[in-house]
Amino acid sequence: MKKGTSKKYRLVRGLRVASQSVFVLVFLWLFIGARYTGEDYIGSTVQRFFHFDPLLALVTVVSARMVYAWFAFSLLTVALTLVLGRFFCGWVCPFGSVHQFSSFLAKKTGFLKPPREEKAGLASKYYILFLILAAALFGLDLAGWLDPFSFLTRSLAVAVFPALAHAMSNLSGLAYGVGWMAFGRAVSNLARNWSLNPTFTQGFGVGLLFLAAVGLNARKERFWCRYLCPTGALLGLLSRWNALKLRIDDAACVKCGLCTQHCETQARPYPNDKWRSGECVYCFTCAAICPTSAIRFPLRLSPEKAGNVSDAAIGRRRLVLSTLLGVVAVPFFRLTPAAKRASAKLIRPPGSLPEEKFLAKCVKCGQCMRACPTNGLQPALGQAGPEGVWTPVLVPRVGYCEYYCSLCTQVCPTGAIRKLTIEQKNAVKIGTAWVNRSRCIPHVLGKPCIVCEEHCPVSPKAIRLVEVETRLPSGETVVQKAPFVDVETCIGCGICENKCPVVDEPAIFVTSVGESRSARNRLLLEITGPDAPGEGQGR
Amino acid sequence: MERRRFLRELAVGGLAAGLGTRFLAGQAGPAAGQPLLAVVEGDSPAAITKEAVAALGGMKRFVSRGDRVVIKPNIGWDRTPEMAACTNPDVVRTLVELTLEAGAKEAVVIDNSTNQARRCYVRSGIMEAAKQAGGKVLYPDENRVRKAALKGEWLKEWDVMLDVVEADKVINVPIAKHHSLSRLTMGMKNWLGACAGARNQLHQKLDYAMVDLAAFFKPALTVLDCYRILVRNGPQGGRLSDTKLTKTVLAGADPVAVDAYGATFFDMQPAELLYLRLAQERGLGTYDLQKVRLEKRNV
Repeated sequence: MKKGTSKKYRLVRGLRVASQSVFVLVFLWLFIGARYTGEDYIGSTVQRFFHFDPLLALVTVVSARMVYAWFAFSLLTVALTLVLGRFFCGWVCPFGSVHQFSSFLAKKTGFLKPPREEKAGLASKYYILFLILAAALFGLDLAGWLDPFSFLTRSLAVAVFPALAHAMSNLSGLAYGVGWMAFGRAVSNLARNWSLNPTFTQGFGVGLLFLAAVGLNARKERFWCRYLCPTGALLGLLSRWNALKLRIDDAACVKCGLCTQHCETQARPYPNDKWRSGECVYCFTCAAICPTSAIRFPLRLSPEKAGNVSDAAIGRRRLVLSTLLGVVAVPFFRLTPAAKRASAKLIRPPGSLPEEKFLAKCVKCGQCMRACPTNGLQPALGQAGPEGVWTPVLVPRVGYCEYYCSLCTQVCPTGAIRKLTIEQKNAVKIGTAWVNRSRCIPHVLGKPCIVCEEHCPVSPKAIRLVEVETRLPSGETVVQKAPFVDVETCIGCGICENKCPVVDEPAIFVTSVGESRSARNRLLLEITGPDAPGEGQGR
Repeated sequence: MERRRFLRELAVGGLAAGLGTRFLAGQAGPAAGQPLLAVVEGDSPAAITKEAVAALGGMKRFVSRGDRVVIKPNIGWDRTPEMAACTNPDVVRTLVELTLEAGAKEAVVIDNSTNQARRCYVRSGIMEAAKQAGGKVLYPDENRVRKAALKGEWLKEWDVMLDVVEADKVINVPIAKHHSLSRLTMGMKNWLGACAGARNQLHQKLDYAMVDLAAFFKPALTVLDCYRILVRNGPQGGRLSDTKLTKTVLAGADPVAVDAYGATFFDMQPAELLYLRLAQERGLGTYDLQKVRLEKRNV
């Protein structure tokens, strides 16, 4: 069977699988690394992958009109793609590897039987790309939803690893139940050391989308990479002068069609002059499986323009239409009142840029949510308008902002959250706490509590205690210590809301007002001077 | 049946060891009815801890060979030692050493912290200190929680950490701090950290909860860290100016007497603390320092 195949290209294919495995493992390792390790400052995490992504670089810089130096690495990807083609998709991209591997499984299990020649159009990803680029011109960042790194990181952060955390907790509970104490403890410690967050409001939806993206590989091999991936489309457009060009030795070719049938990305190796250089991801499957070793990828040092980058029937009219669609989409995304008036529940992580710039930069990768030690950072659904779906928002009822922690600011790939030291972070106000006196236990029930006060991390405490009188139906008047929030020292961390014993609708809650990143969402007008009203009172 | 169980326990050594300590305690203990309280002052937290335990007759009075001992510090907050929010790590280290020297099988250090556990364990310095001394540091584990019949006067049952209640002996190692509700948090308040569940609801009758929990957990020994105490913005402080250097460690088998003496560092009379009065009524000890034999030392 393997007699006539090329030993050399089987080796190259093996190297490609090895490269993919290494990059997937590095990706996972960096992903898991974004956590509290016992050190306050962590080194490189998975955001380094993002910096090599030219789509994210282009869209982020264009939509935010801000240069972010780390994205200089993406120029390397561009340069290498000009020489080597879409090797990035085939050899590096971890999401590509996920699709490749699941396609492989789908074929091995018989779920997927590739036709002799796939006829489906390849143009959709180019339309998606142009739509995204057009919107970026108007400051709308759509890349985050479909960029492979964002998609994969978000899915892992919000769905896959949380599910793993549940599984590990159950496993450890099971082990304790049957008396395997050491094993139960080991599993429990591993989950804790990885600091896996188990709870996400959008976990189910994001998880379903991930499963769908993977499941589509049972329909078409590397479905995502062929039809959807805007980053792949961008790299495809650059794959014009590839030094490695597919050559079929006509004398050896038996025209069996295996190469085209098993081409992962529909690049159609046969006939030679129809090969789509912009679709080929250099997986070397065709060269490795060719029964007569007729396929080679000789190195051409003199640039030679490919005759056929992608005959994906990218109609000029359709291209213009999709570009226009991107432009037209912009006002629809801006219909929300969120742009005019700050949303109470939109509590952004400390270090977040002002909302407009934040939305233009955030790629919704969920890396900050992964790093958050309390699970408080959650993917937004409606809080930030349509543009802000899956951007991070602090939900104090799930988790609060840990005082001596600035991890979320250290992992952002685009600088939507500026990097802060712990000292800088503690000077940032992300919101303000308010007491709901109609639910507060001392206020309304006349019973002691003070839980919010004891948890307030700033010193002197932003939650002070004042004595309040409550008249009970019996006619008795009781005096209890009740919380009073000093809005000037409150940083909005939300631990008070998180720990409030009134669990369903906490009697103390944080809203975004007074957040230091926004001038519009201001609470107190600072008027200083000797004659300023109220000065010196109540301090 | 009874005899067989007696023999079995004898074989395991549990009962034998238990009787042994009781006899020993009778010999080395203070005058009848007078609890002994060690108050040791000095520059080194480790040295004063060691001296305080020695003043009570040594760790062997409290720990038997082969015991699984739980040492329960306050690791509640993500704060460095000089903020006096968590027990001094050197005090914990010394107790782990003494416990293991006394022949304990293992010395487990655990607390159900308020902030993220790992942060508290690391920043307080307690994890490193306890590990260096050969202790076993356990994180609170949601799967190691069981509802226990406290049979208290207010709290009938509550979720407790199995790793604490399954121990042969428990040593309570709190730090003395200001608290806005119980006024001070010392030994008896420290038991909230051995509980799980909605602990924040215990505040509705906190003094009663503290007494019920103290009656349930029954420490063999209480060592109160007053090396650096938190005098305001408790129970976590946040500034050096919230703390006061008092360079003392208290130790005693009577948890009420230990907390009573601790109150004097805050210029308070023990009788001002409701939970101490309740605890004495319950027979957990005495807050009347006149009735306590003080052993004051300086190292």
